[in-house]
Amino acid sequence: MAKITINGKIFDVDPELTVIQAAAQNGIEIPHFCWHPKLTVSGNCRMCLVEIEKMPKLAIACSTRVADGMIVKTESDRVIKARQAVMEFLLINHPLDCPICDEAGECKLQDYSYKYSVGYSRFDENKVHKPKRVRLGPNVMLDVERCIMCSRCIRFSDEIAKQPVLTFTQRGTHVVLTTFPDTQLDNKYSMNVIELCPVGALTSTDFRFASRVWEMSSTDSICVGCSRGCNTHVWVRKNEILRLTPRFNEAVNSYWMCDSGRLNTFRTVNSQERLHSPMIRKDGVLVDVGWDEAIARAVSDLKSFKKSEIAGIASAFATNEDNYVFQKVMKEVIGTKNVDYVQHVEDDAGDELLIRADKTPNSLGTRQVGVRPAEGGLDITGILKGIEEGSIRALYVLEDDIAEDPRFAAALPNLQLLIVHASVNSKTARFADIVLSCSTFAEKNGTMTNFAGRVQRLRPAVATLEQDRAKDGFAMSRWDKFASQNDRWGRSVKKDARPTWRVLTAIANALGAKLKCTTAEEVFKEIAEKLPPFKGMNYINLGSQGANANAAESVSKQKVTA
Amino acid sequence: MEKYILPDIPDLHSIAVYEANGGYKAFRKALGMKPEEVTDEVKKSGLRGRGGACFPTGLKWTFMPKQSAKPKYLCVNGDEAEPGTFKDRQILEFNPHLLIEGIVLAAYAMGITTSFVYVRGEYGKWVRMLERALADASSHGYVGDNILGSGFSTNIVVHKGAGAYICGEESSLMNSIEGGRGYPRVKPPFPAQSGLWGCPTTINNVESICNVPVIINNGAEWYAKIGAPKHPGPILVGVSGHVNKPGVYEMPTGLPLLEIIYKFAGGIPGDKRIKAVIPGGSSTMILRGEQLEGVCMDADSLKAAGSSVGTAGLIVMDEDTDLIQVITRISKFYYHESCGQCTPCREGTGWLWKILQRFERGEGRTEDIDLLMDIANNIEGNTICALGDAAAWPVQSMIRRFRDEFENRAKSLTMGSSTIAL
Repeated sequence: MAKITINGKIFDVDPELTVIQAAAQNGIEIPHFCWHPKLTVSGNCRMCLVEIEKMPKLAIACSTRVADGMIVKTESDRVIKARQAVMEFLLINHPLDCPICDEAGECKLQDYSYKYSVGYSRFDENKVHKPKRVRLGPNVMLDVERCIMCSRCIRFSDEIAKQPVLTFTQRGTHVVLTTFPDTQLDNKYSMNVIELCPVGALTSTDFRFASRVWEMSSTDSICVGCSRGCNTHVWVRKNEILRLTPRFNEAVNSYWMCDSGRLNTFRTVNSQERLHSPMIRKDGVLVDVGWDEAIARAVSDLKSFKKSEIAGIASAFATNEDNYVFQKVMKEVIGTKNVDYVQHVEDDAGDELLIRADKTPNSLGTRQVGVRPAEGGLDITGILKGIEEGSIRALYVLEDDIAEDPRFAAALPNLQLLIVHASVNSKTARFADIVLSCSTFAEKNGTMTNFAGRVQRLRPAVATLEQDRAKDGFAMSRWDKFASQNDRWGRSVKKDARPTWRVLTAIANALGAKLKCTTAEEVFKEIAEKLPPFKGMNYINLGSQGANANAAESVSKQKVTA
Repeated sequence: MEKYILPDIPDLHSIAVYEANGGYKAFRKALGMKPEEVTDEVKKSGLRGRGGACFPTGLKWTFMPKQSAKPKYLCVNGDEAEPGTFKDRQILEFNPHLLIEGIVLAAYAMGITTSFVYVRGEYGKWVRMLERALADASSHGYVGDNILGSGFSTNIVVHKGAGAYICGEESSLMNSIEGGRGYPRVKPPFPAQSGLWGCPTTINNVESICNVPVIINNGAEWYAKIGAPKHPGPILVGVSGHVNKPGVYEMPTGLPLLEIIYKFAGGIPGDKRIKAVIPGGSSTMILRGEQLEGVCMDADSLKAAGSSVGTAGLIVMDEDTDLIQVITRISKFYYHESCGQCTPCREGTGWLWKILQRFERGEGRTEDIDLLMDIANNIEGNTICALGDAAAWPVQSMIRRFRDEFENRAKSLTMGSSTIAL
């Protein structure tokens, strides 16, 4: 260990660390633009200049290794003057177009201007002008004038995404970020450069000009695009998701997430295809009905089949809570042994960074909570065969569009009863007799277990009809707090959808069971009490970073796909 | 006075003439010495680098690891892009074999397998001259495998730059040789630890290397007695500007600047008064004509006078010179050549130039003088490489020593006046 002094306080630190790392570990922030913990050091922004005793010049904290006895000052007059100088230099050619810049509100340059700058400019000359709208790739737009040439995006593309297409051309104040000839920034992780960019130079073509960031609420959640379970922020305005951004979790996704996860997974939530309410088939047509009618119909219909004629297909897209309650109701209340789920593994679709070949977010959790045929029951192949042969006459399907598989699509018309939990008008829902409109990942509490056994929480970010942002403890934006129902920012559309586990509970209780859980948290408490992989876990201790399923008890070793 | 670097011998660039005048004798002598003895000799000679920083050459060589699993490299810096500096070009033209012999000696001393001579892109003619000399040296067995049957092998590669001042900065030079963008590297690591392709590397100026054969031939003690005691040896001084005989002159270090101007360079045309002198290339601090008495061309003397030797490119300006125009042009150069990697230099050089252009147009303001000074101070010492300092020093020294020139050119902004100059 090296003993170093920072601003008069003595710390024992790892001698391999740089000054900026050692300071950060001890809660001292040294302002910086170009340095990033996961990228190589470039030392170009000069914002992290600090005073180190026995060094004649100020030194950059990002590249200076700590040494035993080192005395560092991060707030001395010299340091503050240099920092103000760097800020002034960065701002002289910056367009200062914060009022129309997407980055405003989450911009390092803007934040530091308030924190470390003098508040006025002595620059009285013409600014350098550069290209304003350069499409670097399908998802990333560049405004060269805003760029402060920190090279984070270049280093990310070279070092993390392994697609070295970005570079600087020209010299001096005319330096321009660009792609090499005949290339574009189109790797699967290209959008990470948007958060890496400390200014508004790199923006999302999808989110561009969509909202000021303070008008949105941000909810900690996880991505449901594959079994990685990248930690995310879900950004919502007027009850609509406008973007997803990665949230740091070193055990899962570090600082990154893939473009597909952030662009595609929330489309369902906002989709025009969302169901308005539960539906039942009357005279051959699905019509909207209330929850009481839909549940009563499901109960009476289920009663008319023998236990062996009923099968249930759980979903690796659903939460642990949904699947746990589902298998319990199927096996213990309805009494069928035929319970399984469908895997969605796309061979060769995985990579070495984040993306997994298993396209469901919760397949391990689905197995961990007990989704498997009971002794002598049918597995998924058996269920399909049973439907085809007519021995299975009633099917209960959770949030999985099984009819995407042509074999199921061909077999489903054989059924006498098909009950489906779906959020959109899916292929499977079109075959159904009863459709129970379900909350999406962004509208409910719950947990999912990623491929490595990490149990992580989902939190509601979008309110459904039965929820209220304020009363139900949602993250609140400025508009959520201050807009009223009679101005346009206060008005929003709420879907009539319910979490699957809760609808199942209602059906089970109508069938005579006595299930008591009224919240997802209570369901999870029961899971943690009964199932060893979840032992000791609760919503509080899972927190924002999740926890690993108890390794010894985990079934993860049985059959982990991809 | 005896000349060692550029002696007055016709056709010295041809290998036969070079050999006939004692050429490659130093290398034969060195073969009888241990490599570290060669380094010791250079160290004892007191030779200080001629590329601008005056760093002791022998000491720099000792930073190279003795044992290295990786190859060791020598880069010879012939990028010579500092305005007012044109001395290395003369060596490439008139005495290229001295350079080659010096490189082979340095390679022997440091155990270097390959040396790169980085010549500025605009020196096309001189690249060809050096390449021809190198071909001759190779065919005569002075470069390549098993040199003179000694068992020692070393190669030399001539690398032509692509036209950027920054590539004369040693770490950019290495990036440039590697095929990368001319961006300086953050130090540490220093080149001797991790240089070209991450291997131990030493970078020496062309003229510095040319002093090595002179030292080996005549001995360190002899060399140390030439010129200024703490900065000894022959030095090439490039004199330009308002003098009757501009050119490159070889002389011992430590001669008075006035002697150089009047005896070597033939004085000022029309016997005009000297208004200002830049002693060592455009980045060194400008001196007033009336402060030159007693100031000599060596590191200590120029330091005491508030400037530095730099590359000994002496720029003389007579009494009619518009110094605002001079500093504006110098600032434009550093603005144009700033690589753009780090913030203070990238942004500050352009800002300085823009303000100075206003002064040139007569639109400067009195308060801009302090602003210029503050911008220069904010650049100095805060950048990755020395280009920032090189851009700051001329402005700082010009304001410090010729503030009156700025004040006379400035329009003052009078509070409450209806005519505010902008």
